[in-house]
Amino acid sequence: MEVKEEQVGGVTVLQVTGRLDSATSPMLGERLTAVLEAAKARVLVDFSQLEYISSAGFRVLLQAAKRADQNTAKLVLCGVSGKVRQLFDLGGFLDLFSITGTREEGITAAG
Amino acid sequence: MNDAETTILNRREEFARVRETLDRLAAAHRLAAGVVADMQVALDEILTNIVDYGYTDGAEHEIRVRLSVLENALEATVEDDGQPFNPLERPAPDTHAPLRERRIGGVGLHFVRNLVTDVRYDRVGDRNRLVLRKQLTA
Repeated sequence: MEVKEEQVGGVTVLQVTGRLDSATSPMLGERLTAVLEAAKARVLVDFSQLEYISSAGFRVLLQAAKRADQNTAKLVLCGVSGKVRQLFDLGGFLDLFSITGTREEGITAAG
Repeated sequence: MNDAETTILNRREEFARVRETLDRLAAAHRLAAGVVADMQVALDEILTNIVDYGYTDGAEHEIRVRLSVLENALEATVEDDGQPFNPLERPAPDTHAPLRERRIGGVGLHFVRNLVTDVRYDRVGDRNRLVLRKQLTA
């Protein structure tokens, strides 16, 4: 898994490539914790290049969403499609996160 | 090569070997990416569960994973000498709780039960044996 970080108009975009599982999730968790620490952080996680996500990945996303909720930060996900979307659906996670289709929509929603 | 086997220790860093073994077998048989992803997730959940909850002695243990490509299925057999544990008996998680009340517990095994076609559990002597079978075509 790789996480690429970009700033787009005040929104921190994390592009996640590869697999999010028990081995790689802690790394994404650390990145999310770091970017959500800033007051009123606005964060978009782009999953369009993600192959799959296991419950370890959902654990860090859930922690990040709870942290964002407490810090009045904004956390938006985009590019949740195919296999990844199926796993979100199966775990009942689609309604828990703010999810947009494209990255552009995500930046608007987070910004 | 229709089978591949690897034995790992009860540590997360060891899971990579299982992942790579499955990737190699899948590539050799040109298995569909979706089938492989489902099995990778299921194995990640099962191994995590064994490592986190299977042992109480803090000692090193071996977990054996055998992967087989059958006529119309991909099969994984996972054997460990941890406490008796049948993942089929775990309750389904509450997937409708709102964010503040939502817990991750139980989602992993819920994934396992839903991502593969069938799951078989046996206690064989002092070992747990779990067989995950994923059908290759509908």
